[in-house]
Amino acid sequence: MRAVLDVVSVVSIVAGATLVLLGAIGVLRFRDPLVAMHAATKPATLGVVLTGLGTALQFTGASSITKVVLVVLVQLATVPVGSHMLGRAMSRSRDDD
Amino acid sequence: MTLALDIAMGIVVLGAVLAAARAVRRGRLADRAVAFDTITSALTCGFLVAAALTQEDRFVDLALVLGLLSFLSSVTIARYMESRRR
Repeated sequence: MRAVLDVVSVVSIVAGATLVLLGAIGVLRFRDPLVAMHAATKPATLGVVLTGLGTALQFTGASSITKVVLVVLVQLATVPVGSHMLGRAMSRSRDDD
Repeated sequence: MTLALDIAMGIVVLGAVLAAARAVRRGRLADRAVAFDTITSALTCGFLVAAALTQEDRFVDLALVLGLLSFLSSVTIARYMESRRR
């Protein structure tokens, strides 16, 4: 059982890290900041969720798992709000920048 | 097992470096804000990988603080960009 959980955890951590790398490649390659933000937010958020799942599977204590879940929830709540505010500011200041 | 986690750590750090390359190459404030968002997401991921690698849950605390600070900073940059327009 422990070995199965370890394999699931490592696979999900590597998948999350790969998603973060793909998002960073998109940020590097896309020219327009709004398009780059599209590449930045969604894969990175899913990457953090997958990495958090894998990390939570590595721990056994309830407090550690709760903290990992808290990290994932904070990421899920703040990344869309923050990028929405950034995108609104960009589209409003687009003509004079 | 540890090798795969090391590789995941390398992938995450490479992602942070690529995002930093955008901040260096394109100098506008919006580009830098987007790149900074990506860097902090990658570093949060990196802290989680470090926690899994060392079985220490203090790295999870660091990831939590980094996520909250990144939200605060992107809201601050957005407010600054809107206030600069007037």
